[in-house]
Amino acid sequence: MPGSPLVSRRLWISALIVPPLAFVALFVVYPIISAFAYAFFHWNGLARGEFVGFANFYKVLFTQPYADWTVNAFLHNVWVFFALMVLQNGVGFLLAYCLWRELPGAAFHRISVFLPVVLSTIIVGFLWKLFLHPLFGVVNISFRGLGLGGLAQPWLGQDSTALWSLIFANAWHMVGFPTLVFLAGMQRIPGEILDAVRMETESEWTKITKIVWPLVAPSATVVFTLLFVGSFNWFEIPYVMVGLEGSPHGATDVLGLYFYRTAFGNMSGSGQDFGAGSALAVLIFVFIALVAGVITFKLRAREIQI
Amino acid sequence: MARMTLSGIKKSFKSVDVLHGIDLQISDREFVVFVGPSGCGKSTLLRLIAGLDTISSGEFHLDDRRMNDVAPSRRGIAMVFQSYALYPHMDVYENMAFGARLMGLEKDEVEKRIDEASKMLRLDPLLKRKPRELSGGQRQRVAIGRALVRKPKVLLLDEPLSNLDAALRSDVRLEIARLHREIGGTTIYVTHDQVEAMTLADRIVVMNNGKVEQFGSPRELYERPANTFVATFIGSPRMSLLNVERDSNNLGLPGSGSINVSRLPQSDERDLVIGVRPDAMTVSTDESTEGFKGSVVYTEYLGENTYVYVRLGDGTLVGIRSSASVDLPPDTPVVITVASEEIHYFSRATRERLAA
Repeated sequence: MPGSPLVSRRLWISALIVPPLAFVALFVVYPIISAFAYAFFHWNGLARGEFVGFANFYKVLFTQPYADWTVNAFLHNVWVFFALMVLQNGVGFLLAYCLWRELPGAAFHRISVFLPVVLSTIIVGFLWKLFLHPLFGVVNISFRGLGLGGLAQPWLGQDSTALWSLIFANAWHMVGFPTLVFLAGMQRIPGEILDAVRMETESEWTKITKIVWPLVAPSATVVFTLLFVGSFNWFEIPYVMVGLEGSPHGATDVLGLYFYRTAFGNMSGSGQDFGAGSALAVLIFVFIALVAGVITFKLRAREIQI
Repeated sequence: MARMTLSGIKKSFKSVDVLHGIDLQISDREFVVFVGPSGCGKSTLLRLIAGLDTISSGEFHLDDRRMNDVAPSRRGIAMVFQSYALYPHMDVYENMAFGARLMGLEKDEVEKRIDEASKMLRLDPLLKRKPRELSGGQRQRVAIGRALVRKPKVLLLDEPLSNLDAALRSDVRLEIARLHREIGGTTIYVTHDQVEAMTLADRIVVMNNGKVEQFGSPRELYERPANTFVATFIGSPRMSLLNVERDSNNLGLPGSGSINVSRLPQSDERDLVIGVRPDAMTVSTDESTEGFKGSVVYTEYLGENTYVYVRLGDGTLVGIRSSASVDLPPDTPVVITVASEEIHYFSRATRERLAA
């Protein structure tokens, strides 16, 4: 483009921006919008039938057996969210505090806490599925080796432990992320503020609750939001560890599995229903977007400038 | 009562020795300033007294109670930090109430103390503000207020003026002096600024390389410095040190001749260091005058006075306070006369003061 550096600069910027924008539009925006549209049609396999309005939404929310499945899966997601809030974010905060106080071996522990985050979720899922194997799994073997054979369980095979096992595997995998974010937040607190607290109290509890936590809370916004989104989109770990059915008999069923099963069908042959599946996807999307928006908005307002 | 005794206090961080045995006796209600160049260990010593770092060896007693292993919050000591270290998420009132509540005081008592402190420090209109909404001087006052509501036996201040601009600095200095008079507790103040030290202190601890060089009143330090370090550290512009050789009543300076003095040290050492302050010398262009010969390097005109800097025969640069009318171009040959009753004598070998 001779003579016009401004135009050539614009072209250059466009050339950089357009490809990723097109990619996102094609593979993210378009599927979301089309899911919205699909939810309002009747489907025969992959062939679109007539427009049915909100019938698909009505079906998944109010007709049996869908309604029970929806509620069951949704409640499991709620459980997962609160359990991970404690096991992942709560433990992450405590780990961050320990790492920050430079207890002996902090450098080693900093790496080992974060290492699992780097692993692919699929690998973590298979790894823990093996660890939790009732006969050959390292967990049960360890219990038996320690003479605690009574604690050995078919972890993934019984209602009472299956969901908790998945939650634990997820927490083990991701705990490094909130730890890292909280640790970064703690490291921003000036040393003299901590000295000032030490002049006024020797209670670690007071230091954590009254000073460290309020000052780290800004980093919690992003951690909480991501955990919320992750908990309600939860798919890979349960898919790998317990399969599409959320076995045993729906004890680990969550919205992600349920949606996938409904839309695309599964091995055991239950039919696929694009309409109901899309309706579920839309409901999950809207729910997550609304709540995540509120969380971000509410917590942002409480953020503190150090 | 708050009487402090430090005996043989040592501190090392891993293999580095920072303090090499500090002995101090600080009386009740005294205002003591730790002064010294950066890295001399004065802040470390303050942190040991506060309890923020542990004492490697030695004993620290406050009113006969051994404090080495007492938690910082239980020593009855409050500290004002260089950066003020206010809690950013609490308003001014909460910043002051936090520590007072943790002491287990009744609600009324907390309120009463905050009321007193905020009156004394003029914080009333600021109580609902967050630290980030305050100026540097205001933050400083809140930090002091936060320390005062705990009614500590000992108040520690770590370079409290270093983050303020020059104009505010002298105001706050006066404020701190007034507070000390009103409250009357024992105060320890750390600074690297000898003017702050001289103006505030009852007694000054001059520190260097992890040791106490001298502990005395500002007047003692100025009039009878214990060694050449204190001699040059206290006083501005600094005292000049000259390496001289003594020959009966004469002090000879290589390349600059000699002077006859009426007052000599009792010791009979031959190699001496003499210290002379800028106002104890006069400069003359009359080469027949008796004194050390040298040549002018440059002059500083300060309105009231002019400081003349002269290079002597052995290369030493000395500063002399002269009247404002003096104007000597560089390289002018001059003679310096010294008021012999104002000479400080030090041993060349030990750098310690020699009694005259």
